[in-house]
Amino acid sequence: MQTNNQVPVTVLTGFLGAGKTTLLNRILTEQHGQKYAVIVNEFGEEGIDNDLVVDADEEVFEMNNGCICCTVRGDLIRILGGLMKRADQLDAIIVETTGLADPAPVAQTFFVDQDVADRTKLDAIVTVADAVHLQDQLGEHHEAEEQIAFADVILLNKTDLVETSGLESVEKRIRKINPYAKIIKTAHCTAPLTEVLGLDAFSLERILEVEPDFLDSDHDHEHDDDVTSVSYISEEPLDLEKFQAWFGKLLQTHGQDILRSKGILDFAGIDDRYVFQGVHMLMDASPMGAWPKEKKKSSRVVFIGRNLDSMNLKEGFDGCKAT
Amino acid sequence: MQSNINTGRTRELGIGETEIEKRGLKLNFDAPLTTVASIDDAVGAGFGDGSLTFFRPGLAPVTHKIHEGVILCMAKHKNGLISGGDDGRFLAIKQNGDITEIAVFGTKWVDCVAASDEIVACSSGSDVHLFEHGKSDGKVFKHQSTVGGLAFDKKGQRLAVAHYEGVTIWERSKRRWKSTRLFWKGSHGNVSFSPDGKYIVTTMQENSVHGWRLRDKGDLAMSGYPAKVKSLDWVGDTPFLATSGADEAICWPFDGKFGPMERSPVCVAHNRKKLATFVRGLPGEEAVFAGFQDGAVLLAKLDEEKKAIAIRGSTNAEVSGIAVSNCGSHILIGDIAGNVLWAPLWA
Repeated sequence: MQTNNQVPVTVLTGFLGAGKTTLLNRILTEQHGQKYAVIVNEFGEEGIDNDLVVDADEEVFEMNNGCICCTVRGDLIRILGGLMKRADQLDAIIVETTGLADPAPVAQTFFVDQDVADRTKLDAIVTVADAVHLQDQLGEHHEAEEQIAFADVILLNKTDLVETSGLESVEKRIRKINPYAKIIKTAHCTAPLTEVLGLDAFSLERILEVEPDFLDSDHDHEHDDDVTSVSYISEEPLDLEKFQAWFGKLLQTHGQDILRSKGILDFAGIDDRYVFQGVHMLMDASPMGAWPKEKKKSSRVVFIGRNLDSMNLKEGFDGCKAT
Repeated sequence: MQSNINTGRTRELGIGETEIEKRGLKLNFDAPLTTVASIDDAVGAGFGDGSLTFFRPGLAPVTHKIHEGVILCMAKHKNGLISGGDDGRFLAIKQNGDITEIAVFGTKWVDCVAASDEIVACSSGSDVHLFEHGKSDGKVFKHQSTVGGLAFDKKGQRLAVAHYEGVTIWERSKRRWKSTRLFWKGSHGNVSFSPDGKYIVTTMQENSVHGWRLRDKGDLAMSGYPAKVKSLDWVGDTPFLATSGADEAICWPFDGKFGPMERSPVCVAHNRKKLATFVRGLPGEEAVFAGFQDGAVLLAKLDEEKKAIAIRGSTNAEVSGIAVSNCGSHILIGDIAGNVLWAPLWA
């Protein structure tokens, strides 16, 4: 028996009616010969066509560890633990969340529970968005913003039902919230499965490969979105100690408002690139090999969250420069 | 404490094959060992493929396929077992392999089971179902969140149910069961009454163990573990609460008026930086078996001056169950790779 393989877990989010179940059933019918477990919520819209479907109840609970925003999915810890005891090795696990679910507790579960982290790995958060209704949903439900903010891939679905100009404005709105996510436009969730599964989006290595779509127009106050993103670049090397002090304090004091953070850093006196990513207050970071010769050394950080204006992020980041 | 296994060779390769292994039976099953229970001189071992194997001294092991998927939990009941699986079935199994289906919960898993002489109980989601001797329709106890653990006290008069934010104790009065809540923030898993029934302890999602003194609901927070505590057992007459979650067995004294309050645990069976994942007391002795993440198992007296004895060498797979036959003659050890050792403890 093999026990050392981490099983990839894909999290499917999206509002009711966006097309999550359509995508799920497509994944399950097209991937022949793969053994998947699907964890669904109790209020699923349609039937799921798979041998191994587990009912979950989205039990979110607070950790008693002093981290105020640290909520995890208790049911996921239990179910993933149970699935890991099976005799057969699973190729992947897909977790479908309810329409109004906040993705943070799901992601945090993979940072917080050691057994979950040892045996499984969060592959990506895939959000299915309804091109027709997303604009309204973003205004009305903070969960919709969170689902866009947390996404590694956004499947912008039902594009056939929207005018080109409408589609452009939806895309622009998504980009403002999340410049990092890959947007795939589809009419009926017909995205290539290789762009949805097996992405390894939560590995630190991946951060090096994905160039965020930086916004060209800096401030667009047409919609007062609650969740926004900012990114900063420094051509000058940073000071490790200064950065650690600033970033540590930032997550401690504003971790609740910072939904996701990512960065590649160039520290003075250190040859290796340093990569990090965070979900609220929880962070994963590590040196990640030498800088490629063809690439100029620089430091880039991206924050996605609420009230980012109030955190003096630019000043803080600039203050980390070594010179 | 440094144990005698910390030689140059073992540091690199883990602990080598032991004498007990050489005289025992080593088998590999196709699925992780998930749960174990002792019944008289036999031991039942449950696996991730739904099979249950009975090991008896002097006889060949006998395997029965009882669940469709994973056997998630088992407990001794009379001279057989009860079990819960991810196929949603709650079963009673006799030692001859006869199966009785007590209840079926469809797609909902049966996560925990417990038994007293007269009653069997199981949890599925946040409900606990009770089936009393001779009565076919069960009682249902509802809770706010999913049940993490179930345990009866020795007399079968109280049932402890662990869940988010504490424990609910159901106590049998003349006509009905009355509930009492014990609160502590966080998520609670395994639950156990102390042998004298005066304390309740739980393992937590955080790296700690929590206890309540039932007389006054006083809290006992036992923390400082480097990892999640997955296993606990009561050891000896004091008694000590032995726990996993560190690189040795952490044993808290529960004697005196205040138990472990303001006292240090006894830490034994140190295994080089490897985390203990399963602990089990040696019946009738103040000694504990500690199983580790590398598959090794050590036996140690609850005395920090004494050296531990290697019972099983490293297999590179986490120990997921240890059971000793009730008379203390044989031991069963299994891991998440399906390696099982069944051996007489004494030469």
